Amino acid sequence: MEVLTAHGPKQVGFSPYQDNGGTALAVSGKDFVVIASDTRISTGYSIHTRDGNKITQLTEKCVIASSGMQADIKTLFKVLQMRMKAFEQQHRRHMPTPAIAQMLGNTLYYKRFFPYYTFNILAGLNEEGEGCVYSYDAVGSFQRVPVSCTGSGHELIQPVLDNQIDRAHQKGLGHWDLSELEAVELVKDAFSSACERDIYTGDHVDIAVINKTGIHWDKFDLKFD
Amino acid sequence: MGDNIMAYNGGSVIAMAGKNCVAIASDLRYGIQNHTVGFDFPKVQRVNEHTFVGLPGLLTDTQTFHEKLNYRMKMYSLRENREMKPQVVAHMCESLLYERRFGPYFVEPVIAGLENGTTPYLCAMDLIGATLKTQDFVLAGTSSQAMFGLAETLWKPDLDADHLFEVISQVMLNAVDRDALAGWGCRVWVMTPEKVTVRDLKARQD
Repeated sequence: MEVLTAHGPKQVGFSPYQDNGGTALAVSGKDFVVIASDTRISTGYSIHTRDGNKITQLTEKCVIASSGMQADIKTLFKVLQMRMKAFEQQHRRHMPTPAIAQMLGNTLYYKRFFPYYTFNILAGLNEEGEGCVYSYDAVGSFQRVPVSCTGSGHELIQPVLDNQIDRAHQKGLGHWDLSELEAVELVKDAFSSACERDIYTGDHVDIAVINKTGIHWDKFDLKFD
Repeated sequence: MGDNIMAYNGGSVIAMAGKNCVAIASDLRYGIQNHTVGFDFPKVQRVNEHTFVGLPGLLTDTQTFHEKLNYRMKMYSLRENREMKPQVVAHMCESLLYERRFGPYFVEPVIAGLENGTTPYLCAMDLIGATLKTQDFVLAGTSSQAMFGLAETLWKPDLDADHLFEVISQVMLNAVDRDALAGWGCRVWVMTPEKVTVRDLKARQD
């Protein structure tokens, strides 16, 4: 944008977007899901807080985690919760996970021409009790996947998931049906590795395990550097 | 050449240290932006009995730099009548790169060797010769982020030659599978005090 100054016209830039960094990851099993995100909020080389919140519970069976711009993440979570309350009023029941998945896609596409700078992962149990993970881009295209990661550490973590869960390039072995404990250990290892080499990932990890007994939250420490 | 000259040809190299052994791996793709032209272009050369030099980056500079380095190493061995140690090879690369400080070679060397035939030596450099010495692994190329994630997860200290081969192979294969500009086969060299083995990995040809 051009402004007129005493010395003549000059260009100034204002971007409505910021990248606050961070990584989110979700792994699904037959009857559970594990979803996690780190808690560091940063801009450039500075950290705003080590105790940020990029993951939130939507229903007793569904959790969303995001990376990208913190302002848009917070607003998106509020908008989602608002629309879910409306659903509960209209339908007299909690929103099932696949319905939340579709609604999130629609909510993002409403702002197709001024998007929410958020990269979301939705994880939960569907009505049959199976673990589901849905992965989104910024404007609402989504797909149900077995495993997903997003954010500044996703390039580091994605091949680890391909190798350890799909067991790609491991002869004779197919997809690994992990147990809950194994999934949590893998998620912790993935974050530890990402934290080593990605400056935007670190501090703590919020982990949620969703199974038929409910949602269990855990906090795991990472390096502060 | 596009906005990222280091991604014009694509390609990746990683080297790892184990117990009295080193391994180095390179993909085999030769491409020009999104067009793959060859499938047998390793970016690693064994420059003397105890040292490998990998040069991912702009492949014309890879070739030229290998030739310059070979020339200097041959002159050294003629004058000194002895082999260049891995650390000295690294210092020579540093110096050759800094000579071109304001018009650099677009390569990021990865050097692996055995000092005195037994002690692992690893070194990585940026395109103007800033060195980084480490005991675990060094890597460079278009798949660097993917290789970092896998290497941090899978590497551990004091692996023997066979386990080191497995680890470096898994890192290379899974990393280049997530990179459109690297892949089309991988070659792994493993150097122990007794011998050097070279193996081609069965990889996705895309």
